[in-house]
Amino acid sequence: MRTRSVFRFELIILLAAIGLSVIGILFIYSSAISSDGILQNNEYIKQIVWVCVGFAIMLGVSFFDYERLRSLSLYIYLSVIAMLVFVLVLGEVVNGARSWLNIRGIGIQPSEFMKIALILRLAFFFEESRNRYSDFIRFLLSLIYMTVPMLLVVIQPDMGTAMVYIPIYLIMAFAAGIKKRYLLFLLACGSLIVLGTIIPAWDIFIITERSVKLAKVFSETRLTIIVLAAALAILLLSGIGFLSVKKKYFYWIGFAALIIIVSFSMTLGANNYIKDYQLKRLIIFMDPQVDPKGAGWNVIQSITAVGSGGTSGKGFLRGTQSHYRYLPQQSTDFIFSIIAEEWGFVGCLIIFVLFFVIIMRSLYILMSAKDYFALYIGSGVVAMIFFHFIVNIGMAMGIMPITGIPLLLVSYGGSSMLTTMAGLGLVSSIYLHKYKY
Amino acid sequence: MPQKFEVPKLRIVFIMVFITAAFILYTVNLASMQIVNFSEYQRRAKEVASREAVILAQRGEIYDRNKDYPIVMNISSFAVYVTPGELQEDQKEKLKINLNDYLRINFNELDRKIPIDTTGSFQPVELKDALQYEEIIYIAEHIEDFPGISWQSKPIRGYPEQGSISHVIGYVGNITSEDLQILYNKGYDRNSTIGKSGIEKQYDMLLRGKDGTRMRMVDVKGRRIEGDSQLIPPENGNSLVLSIDRNIQKLCEKALGERIGSVVVMKPSTGEILAMVSYPYYNPNLFYTDKSKEEYTRLSLDPRFPFINRAIQSGYAPASTFKVFMTSAVLEENAFPLNSMITCDGSMTLGDRTFNCHKLSGHGPLNLADALAQSCNVFFYTMGVEYLGIDKIVDYSTRFGFGAYTGIDLPGEIRGLVPSPEWKDEVYHTNWVGGDTMNVSIGQGALNVTPLQMASAISLIVNDGISYKPHILTQVLDQTTGEVLSEIEPEILKTSNISRNTLKTLREYMRGVITDGTAKYVITTKAVDVAGKTGTGQMGLQDQWDSWFVSYAPYETDNSDEQIVLVINVEGVNKWEWWAPKAADMILQGIFAEQNYEEVLDEFRNRWYIREWRKRQQDALEADTAAAGEAAE
Repeated sequence: MRTRSVFRFELIILLAAIGLSVIGILFIYSSAISSDGILQNNEYIKQIVWVCVGFAIMLGVSFFDYERLRSLSLYIYLSVIAMLVFVLVLGEVVNGARSWLNIRGIGIQPSEFMKIALILRLAFFFEESRNRYSDFIRFLLSLIYMTVPMLLVVIQPDMGTAMVYIPIYLIMAFAAGIKKRYLLFLLACGSLIVLGTIIPAWDIFIITERSVKLAKVFSETRLTIIVLAAALAILLLSGIGFLSVKKKYFYWIGFAALIIIVSFSMTLGANNYIKDYQLKRLIIFMDPQVDPKGAGWNVIQSITAVGSGGTSGKGFLRGTQSHYRYLPQQSTDFIFSIIAEEWGFVGCLIIFVLFFVIIMRSLYILMSAKDYFALYIGSGVVAMIFFHFIVNIGMAMGIMPITGIPLLLVSYGGSSMLTTMAGLGLVSSIYLHKYKY
Repeated sequence: MPQKFEVPKLRIVFIMVFITAAFILYTVNLASMQIVNFSEYQRRAKEVASREAVILAQRGEIYDRNKDYPIVMNISSFAVYVTPGELQEDQKEKLKINLNDYLRINFNELDRKIPIDTTGSFQPVELKDALQYEEIIYIAEHIEDFPGISWQSKPIRGYPEQGSISHVIGYVGNITSEDLQILYNKGYDRNSTIGKSGIEKQYDMLLRGKDGTRMRMVDVKGRRIEGDSQLIPPENGNSLVLSIDRNIQKLCEKALGERIGSVVVMKPSTGEILAMVSYPYYNPNLFYTDKSKEEYTRLSLDPRFPFINRAIQSGYAPASTFKVFMTSAVLEENAFPLNSMITCDGSMTLGDRTFNCHKLSGHGPLNLADALAQSCNVFFYTMGVEYLGIDKIVDYSTRFGFGAYTGIDLPGEIRGLVPSPEWKDEVYHTNWVGGDTMNVSIGQGALNVTPLQMASAISLIVNDGISYKPHILTQVLDQTTGEVLSEIEPEILKTSNISRNTLKTLREYMRGVITDGTAKYVITTKAVDVAGKTGTGQMGLQDQWDSWFVSYAPYETDNSDEQIVLVINVEGVNKWEWWAPKAADMILQGIFAEQNYEEVLDEFRNRWYIREWRKRQQDALEADTAAAGEAAE
């Protein structure tokens, strides 16, 4: 039995992951080379170590029967939550966020490990609550599981990583069969909150010459409160209407009103919490030329690097944008920009294909999973990898806000490497243990 | 456990389609960037890039309350920078030698200032500031010997008003990497200057202004190219007006003389600090010279801790001055009839311990007013142990603000301590005993207050139960136009519920201390009616006593604006001279007769303590000359 399992090991994902991490190491090396051709740091050596540890973990997790994680999921979740709290008190501040734990010189980011912990816990909860609770209760309880770690990471503050928990939740809940209208509600609220916080800043920073009247709804507290009151009245009226006439459209009017109430009141809070420079950094991708020397600098340099790569690139170690240090954070957030500059469209396509293979193969494995627990874990892992891909590469191409989240498997960094490998290990484990013996 | 399982195929297919669509979208976008618009981006990458140079904002100046000329200003000078990207590896050694020869920059400084990960960076790094115009001229004429070096005007801070004011104003210095970690995103960078202590630190954000930039065009290697440059002008920092009166400050500084201790003069009606002296002090001008490091080390190693502002950063046992607050408790609580007497026979016994009065022969029978005037320990021991109890004493101490920050606008204030049974249990795990109460009753034991807290507490007595938060900043000015941008209004610190009658009686008693009590012969000024209390604190060693004097003047007035509170503490490490009340006498004379220190000395030349002091100086001088003479033989 064991030997058969080993032969049936999930090779496709393993090979794709090896491909991506090797490319990662190459370009972490490249990012450390100065314009004079001198090696500036040894991050690539550290990354090699992380990759090796990562593969060991991936293999280990693969052979571990994921079913045993059912009983462990709560403890894993709670202990990572404890680490998140710990880090808030005793963590180290890096780039303005208190997010690192220093264990004998090795930096660890618990917010990364939280992704796996969250996936396991949500998967267990969604499975266990299937026929026990109503859909609404499942939705609310699972939302709490996501919100607690998210808030802990938000106050570090590391908005980028905190954001990743949302798509993980959404896709898992979607796979778990939560009513589409609840998820729609979440999505609508989320987009309105984002719009509500961004639009005033957009009004101030990007379209400076003529102010948009509608933006005032979000930027002037008085107007926001009027809208809130109106929505509240509508909600009340439609509630009365629905109860007395039982017409379906009252339900949907009330639904819309509730969306507006929730998102507008959250916007009020967010506008007080988020600082101007953070917002500016978030929206600068819409028009980096507004502040080319400040917040727009990274975006402009990254876009230039990507575009100037052309079809086949300037050649390995030959990028100008990167080696003349125009690009910031080359080994972490903007590693894709160097790859695009030095290997061009062809190299980028390799990256795209490898990620696409990992994601599609994972989803394919899920189709033949043997229980809900496996299905939900898998969809969570897929969501994590996909979201990182979209946001990181979108950022490098200048079509997504700068949030500082890494390109999984490729970017320099131990915690995210281990997290991803553990996630892929879980998918392999699902594949390996798909039959009931 | 496993339930009836069915894969939600439709939902998974939906996810697959969604993800595939996103991948296609991204591939198309990438192709449009890298293939369709390739030449445009390539042009941009090769195109000249602009690079910015910082134009430093002028740091705000600082005025005292007279607002006539600045007591802190900017002195024209230059800083040199190195741009690591413009410096070839093989030129480094030569450059180090030249920098050392002509600009006295240490050999290792260059390596230290260019961390390994910034080689190849075109962001200039500051190497040295406070350079003279002539030195810059030399570099400009020999620029080929200084590859990668540039310079710009960077004024240094000048402190024309020297002496004890340094503790209030503080000084500035280069930002440390620890500071930068915290102030990341607040407009600070690696080359920033930042206030290190005092007002310079407290109001750094107001003083520093906002640097401007000049954008110049450079090619991909960072070499300058001719063309127009774009300019964002700097916003200069705001100037500040302080409540300090530099004349009073000087007067207090000289009256205290070279004795370790501190003086606080405060306006009780607003909380404005008129003078704050702490001896020893330092000369911040020396921090901007080549000797800055040596000077800094010398001051740091000085066992007298010249960097400590003793008025707010040192706590002392309040000693007999605490009897003022004990008296307020007795009066307010009606704990002891005003005309009843307690007989002092020089000591008091509690259990197996004997507590002495400072007058060992005893004061005889005393009422409350006399006890405060004569500062009788036995009387207040009795009050503390038999009539008030520790809880009430703690309660009244807190009402006057002891054991809490005053909130003055200076960094590093300490809190002091009002010991209570809970505190003793928590820290020492032992029970509070009667002896502890005895000690606290006469302001000894673990009781610990700062001179500023003392001034704030006296203000509360003067103001009929209200004390204002002590503050130093009064106005914020536009540096260029001198326009007043904002005015700092007095803010109530404490409103005590002690009755006006109690406080009035207390003021009478404090006046009694001057007219008939312990300070009768030492407060001699005729310029103003003074009310106050002396204090002499044990420091552990037999012949060392802290000397306190707390006071306010005029004793009674219709115009509360002219009143001042004066607190002096002279540490016991000095030679014992009972100097606090003597200094107070001179300071009060100076302030209310509008005389400076020299005029006061002249006026007081026949006072007993001035004569005594002159004689001691004379003796010391003769002893010195004699010793020098012997050594010469």
